[in-house]
Order: sequence, then structure tokens, then C-alpha cells
Amino acid sequence: MTLLIFLCLVSLSFLIYFFQVLALRKKLKERNFSINLPAISIIKPLKGLDDNLFDNLESFCLQDYPEYEIILSLENQNDPAYRVAEKIRNKYSDKVKIVIDNSSKALNPKVRNMVTAYRISKYDYFLISDSNVFVDSDYLRKTVSSMTEEVGLVTNLIVGTRGKSIGAILENLQLNSFIILSVCLLDKFLKMPCSIGKSMLMRKKDFEDIGGFGAISDVLAEDYQIGRLIHEKGKKVVLSNYLIKNINEYWTIKRFLNRHTRWAKIRWKIGGVKYFTEPLVNPIFVSFFISILSGISSLSAILFLSSVSFKIMLDLLVIKMLKQKVGLEIMLIPLKDLINGIIWFVPFFTSKVNWRGNKYVISKNTVLALAHENSFMRNYLKLKTIFSH
Amino acid sequence: MLLCDFHIHTKYSDGSLELRKVVDIFGQAGFDVIAITDHVVNGDSMIGKLAYKFRFTVTEKNFNEYIENLKYEAERAWEKYEMLVIPGVEISKNYLSSDKSAHLLILDIKNFLPACSSYESIFLEAKKQNALIVACHPHHMKGEIRNTLYLWKNRHKYGKYIDAWEIANRDDVFNVVSLKKYPYIANSDFHKARHLYSWKTLLNCEKDKEAIKKCIKHNKGVAITLFRR
Repeated sequence: MTLLIFLCLVSLSFLIYFFQVLALRKKLKERNFSINLPAISIIKPLKGLDDNLFDNLESFCLQDYPEYEIILSLENQNDPAYRVAEKIRNKYSDKVKIVIDNSSKALNPKVRNMVTAYRISKYDYFLISDSNVFVDSDYLRKTVSSMTEEVGLVTNLIVGTRGKSIGAILENLQLNSFIILSVCLLDKFLKMPCSIGKSMLMRKKDFEDIGGFGAISDVLAEDYQIGRLIHEKGKKVVLSNYLIKNINEYWTIKRFLNRHTRWAKIRWKIGGVKYFTEPLVNPIFVSFFISILSGISSLSAILFLSSVSFKIMLDLLVIKMLKQKVGLEIMLIPLKDLINGIIWFVPFFTSKVNWRGNKYVISKNTVLALAHENSFMRNYLKLKTIFSH
Repeated sequence: MLLCDFHIHTKYSDGSLELRKVVDIFGQAGFDVIAITDHVVNGDSMIGKLAYKFRFTVTEKNFNEYIENLKYEAERAWEKYEMLVIPGVEISKNYLSSDKSAHLLILDIKNFLPACSSYESIFLEAKKQNALIVACHPHHMKGEIRNTLYLWKNRHKYGKYIDAWEIANRDDVFNVVSLKKYPYIANSDFHKARHLYSWKTLLNCEKDKEAIKKCIKHNKGVAITLFRR
């Protein structure tokens, strides 16, 4: 009986995985035809030093695109990213501006960092782009090609690359399997709007119609919120198949754990009961969990090892589809999946998150409250969230 | 002010990263001046012999190649990041006793200096090359079994040759340097990527080798900062 349950669950898990891979394949085959090339303001909120920061920023200055500006925004001059921003501004002074401002009261530090940059941006189209992404020179052209009249938001698929430390390798494996596959499944088969904060292209008019920064200032998942609100306004949210590179070279394991526990909490606060289906897309964890529950035996060990081998082969296929190089680090996939299985439980025990040096408590739809606020304030914010939906 | 790190190792000695990668790590982080200072180890002790065996040292044989590659990387770093790369070595006199051991940064080195020569001849030869001499990690460091205390213990004898002392090295701060009011700089003693986040020097001078050496020697417009992500 246990064996039957084991086989059913693991088979279901691999079936979902198969659909995810299919969704990615379909997504990568999409073609876009818009030839409109509007002028664009690129807003880059900077906070601290990302791996490869200089090249990441420079890659945006080297776009094969007729008219655009880049606004690098920081909260203060003491940020170590400021020196890099200054060097980029000196090198590409015709395209790049630096904005330093910390007057916004938004709780979301990324939003707080963008308000003034948005205000001084001069074009009707704007693109929010994280500082840890590297793009090729055709990025703007290809991303804009998805922006037709009925589209309100274009975001991009991300791939993790260049991992050197264990933390960075785990991070890239997670981005190049679980994250990209889940996003493609939601987009292609479940038709759910997916917006990824690393690259979001919008018209200012559409953004202001949903309430602008006021609508996203106190939520953690501002990207999800923008996508949801634009979708509710009747505009399409398009996931472009142009792959942007998230350069993660020297991450510590702690940083990997921090990011993915934060993302798990976000998914729990947004998805609610749907979050319970998530372990099903982690066949290694499912087979490990059942092996432990059913008692360790040679049969359960064989089944677990078979799941591991099959998952590694499939992940290898996905990484090849993404045209990423992979070596022996592929052997860390079981470890990564087991860690993620454990991380899945974390949101049930705590709602605290630590992001960009700030500590928050998140409630439904990732509404933020500062962690040191008293329980009265938190309850007030929870009530406010409940009654505002 | 210029953000500087004058104590950096690569795979030419016991660093974990190639020279090019090291230059890129500092360039990508917005540094203005760095000095590459791979070890030149004394071969007259057991520890020194091990360093030669495992190639954790620049030798007289590969010194020219080392300097040529540094020159190439310096040009690339200037073109791409406007970052100045100064060639250097860390003369490492390693013995079992901490009291006998000493490490010295020779910044803007031109010709090879053997580490087994006497201190006087190393100092005089460095001065002849118009190089800057920095006593590194001169006092007790946390968690180190073997320290490099010789120069501190003999500061009255050798102090006159030393242009600056490391007041901070990676996470250690040596308050004795401050108490003696010696010229100071702070460095990472970079061996691994994570060592980027450590004590650094800030200089208020032109981004030019001679101006930098003068600024450190005269110890005017020098500050230290703990560089964090």
C-alpha cells in the first residue's frame, strides 16, 4: 500500500514536472512581431554590491536601441554601489543619470528607492530593472517587441549563471529549474499573470491607472502586485521569452537560504491554499519524505535513488534548453531540492522577512509591517488587508 | 576619496583566484586603486621550503612573467574601470616562531627581491627601486596560531625604513599602530572572494602612482573604512 502511494505521488510529481518542461519549451518557441520602438526610461534601483555590478550596469548602456535613458537610483551616497554608479555615469554620461533620495515613506525599500527616479524620468515607457541582471545588446529591442496595444506589462524569464561558490551554484540551479519552470507553467497552462521584478516594462499611463507607487509602496511583492493590478484593469501581462541573466557568483549558503525562505513566505501569503500543491513539483523531496515515513528499506532507497537520477537527467535537459553550461555542479540538485523541501515548511512558523537590511512582518498579499512594530499595529494592518479585499 | 586596497593575493602565490578574476572583482566593485602583492617567501626555513614545494610563492624565475601579466592587467583595468593596479609583492619571512616572522609589502616593485636577504638589504633595495615599504599584520591577529611580530618588536631598529604600517588587516585592527602615531593603511589581505568585504584605505589624492605613494608616506589625507556589501 505504502509502495503504491509512493509510486502514485512520485509519478504525479514527475507528471507535473513534465508539463512544466513542456511549458518552458512552448515559451521558448514563441515569436513576437511588434516593430514599434518607443523611447524608454530604464530605472535601476541600487542597493549594495551585486556580483558583476559594473558589467551588469554597463550592459544596459550598450543596448542596440534608438532612444533610452538610464536612471540609477540610490538611497544614499554611502551605499557601496554609488562608486560603481558614478563610474558608469562618467563613462556613459549621455545616457546615465544618478538619483539619490531617501525622502519616500514607502515600506518596500525597492519602491522607496524608485519614486524620485520615476518622477524625473522623461519617456512615456519605463522599465524597472534590478541591478543584478546582465543583458545582451538586443534585450530592449526583443523585450519591447512583446509590447502591443493590449499589453500592459512585459516581464522576462531569468536564468542564473556563473556560480562559483556553493551558495551561488544552489541559487542558479534553483532559478534554472524550479523557478523558471513554475513561472512557465503558470503562464502557459494556468494562464495566470506572472510578473518578475527583475525586468518590468510598462507605459506610465497604465502604471498610473493602477495607482502608481501608492499601490505598491507597502507590499513586499511589488512585482506580483503590479502584474495583478494591470491584469485586473483588463490589460495583458506578457512573459517575454528573452532570457535575462542573473549573475550569482559568490553567494553564501546563508544568502541562498534567506532569499528562498523569503520567496516561500511570499508565495504562501499570495497563493494561500495553492501553496500546498508546491511540494508536488519537487519529486526528490516527495520521494525522500515518503521513504522516511514508510521506513528506510532497500526498496525505498532504490526508489529514492531512481527519483534522484531521473530528476537530475530532466534538470540537465532543462539547463540545456536554456543554453546554460553545466558541469559537476549538477550533482548538487538533490541537496538543493531537499533544502527547498525543508524551506517549504518555514512560512508556517514565521512571517518575518529580512530584505535589503530591513526586517518586516508580512501578512496576506505580502502587506508589510516593520518587525519592531507592536502587535497592535500588526493587527491593525492585518485588519486593513482583510477589509480592503 | 580614492577607495584602495594594497594587499591582494592571486594564484601566483596562495590566493584562490586568477589574477584577471581578482582584478575584475575589485573593478566590478568600484575600487580606484589596488596593489597585487603575491608572496615572495624565504626558502631558508621549513615553512618557506613547503611554500616553494606547493608553489605558494613568486620566484626569481617567474617574477618577470608576474610583472608582465600585472602590466597587462593594469592596462585593462585602467581602460575598463579607471582603476589603477600597482605591482607589488609581500616579502614573507616565515619561521616557526612568531617573534622571528615578518611580512612586508613592497609596493611599486620593479625588480625581484629575494626574501632570504637581510632586512637591511631588502629595505635598501626597495628604496633604490623607489618602492613603498609597508609592514603588514604587525601585531597579534585573532585566531592565528602564528603571527608576524618581528618588525613590531624591532620597530626601533627598522621603523625608519618602513613607510607605513597596516593598522587593520581584513577583520583585525591593530590599535598599537595608532598609539605610536605611525603612518597607516588598512587592507584586506585578499585571498578569497569573500575577503573583499574587509578594512580598506581611503586616500585624498590624485589617482596616480607617485601621488599615492606620497600620500601614504606623508600620511596626510588617509582614512580607513570597513567595506561592506
